Amino acid sequence: MKLRKRILPALIGVGAVLLAWYLVCASGVVNDYVLPSPGRVWSTFLKMAASGELIKGVLVSLGRVLKGFGIAFALAFLLASLRILAPASEPYYEYIVQFFRNVPPIAMIPLLILWCGIGETTKTVIIVLASFFPMYLSIVKGFTGCDPRLLEVARSFDYGRGRAFFRVVLPSAMADILVGMRTSLGYSWRAIIGAEMVAASTGLGHMILFAQQMSRTDKVIVGILTIGIVGRVTDWLLGIVIRRFAGGTAQNGWD
Amino acid sequence: MDGIEIRGLKKSYTLESGTLHVLRGLDLTLEAGAITVVLGKSGCGKTTLLRLVGGLEKPDGGEIRFHSPRKTAFVFQEPRLMPWLNVRDNIQFGLRRGEIDPAATKRIIETVGLTGFESALPAQLSGGMQQRVALARALACRPSFIMMDEPFAALDHFTRESMQKELLRVREATDASILFVTHAIDEALTLADKVVLLSGGVCAAAFPIALPHPRDLMCDELIQARRSIVAALGAAA
Ligand SMILES: Nc1ncnc2c1ncn2[C@@H]1O[C@H](COP(=O)(O)OP(=O)(O)OP(=O)(O)O)[C@@H](O)[C@H]1O
Ligand SMILES: [Mg+2]
Repeated sequence: MKLRKRILPALIGVGAVLLAWYLVCASGVVNDYVLPSPGRVWSTFLKMAASGELIKGVLVSLGRVLKGFGIAFALAFLLASLRILAPASEPYYEYIVQFFRNVPPIAMIPLLILWCGIGETTKTVIIVLASFFPMYLSIVKGFTGCDPRLLEVARSFDYGRGRAFFRVVLPSAMADILVGMRTSLGYSWRAIIGAEMVAASTGLGHMILFAQQMSRTDKVIVGILTIGIVGRVTDWLLGIVIRRFAGGTAQNGWD
Repeated sequence: MDGIEIRGLKKSYTLESGTLHVLRGLDLTLEAGAITVVLGKSGCGKTTLLRLVGGLEKPDGGEIRFHSPRKTAFVFQEPRLMPWLNVRDNIQFGLRRGEIDPAATKRIIETVGLTGFESALPAQLSGGMQQRVALARALACRPSFIMMDEPFAALDHFTRESMQKELLRVREATDASILFVTHAIDEALTLADKVVLLSGGVCAAAFPIALPHPRDLMCDELIQARRSIVAALGAAA
């Protein structure tokens, strides 16, 4: 059933794109430098995979994403919780948060390079900036969207603030939190590739830029395909973790 | 005296069109271990009274005196279950970790007739079943004072009857005081030790009913009581 409904159409879609790519290259309309053939890209991919170059790039970029994403999640969760548990604190940071929300992280790169060099700190900050806001906004939405009538039930059973937070507000916000995490993960993945193209000597983004400078379009394409695939796979893995967490109970905005 | 005394209770809401005085100096005594039923038309302030007694809202004036410390439980007009918790966890929602007793929970699930649905989520239950879970949630914490806001309004005739019996049994077993809101006269007559008529923001009339349970609604005393309640309701309107 699943094979007929999903996998088969997916294979046909991908196959069509590959076929079109192959035909364009075989027809000789475009130069091999502008668009290398699928076969050439495939053999380059195998070579890069065998040499460990590809895996290393993926791991470096992924490591940066996980670190920045983790920090951003902790920050977003903390600030959003603060907003619920101590509403009076909100005006102190809300405007600063809103300000940074409107600054694209890429625009911060020159300053960050000046302050932190092109080391890991710059890249971590970029990812934190890119992934913080979707998570913060959806966690806040989840928290504030909690049905006050359910909170009243907690109050009628003498729940304190903290207990009500963990047993009512947090579970009812779960779906929103998870959707925010998913969006943010995508954002951090994009941001790190961008940052690595500007300020890095390792990682997938740097690999692509370096390949361009060496006129290796085939390597550029391998890099792009890898980015797409790794992004999809991490998204899918997060989906599995989350379905476990939400227990299929909360509608979690997945698939 | 042991019980709850309500004196001069006032509550008003500010609406766009002006101030709405819902309770205007209400006096009411809830005897310990008794079932006090508040009867009144829709919108007369029954839920408001219950929320004030339950401490979910602050009164504008007057006082509510509890004569002994008590564990209270609230059954709301709607089920208000946690959508992410299954039946069992919803029922145990009012308990602290150390108070959870699987055997007791099982018994309560049995009495509200939900055996087999322990792992079901609220969305998978009918409205009446959800309300029974809400009732079980209140009973599970062994309250000595239960406030109930039209808890059986959504149930069919037979389930309502068995829930009423169950409530009386709980009262027998635990000696809990119960403040029960309804607009169904039959239900009031079936359950009450005292029926209180809420109208015009005060207790317009009180009818003590000192009959043993189970009661025959067709017996002379209750027919008589029904007559005077209907008359008082009509006079209040
Ligand atoms: N939070 C509120 N803000 C403004 N007005 C309110 C509020 N709560 C209740 N009221 C008003 O107070 C009056 C009494 O409401 P209440 O819910 O106590 O009625 P009720 O007797 O429980 O009615 P029902 O039998 O329909 O449940 C109504 O006119 C209602 O509009
Ligand atoms: Mg009401």
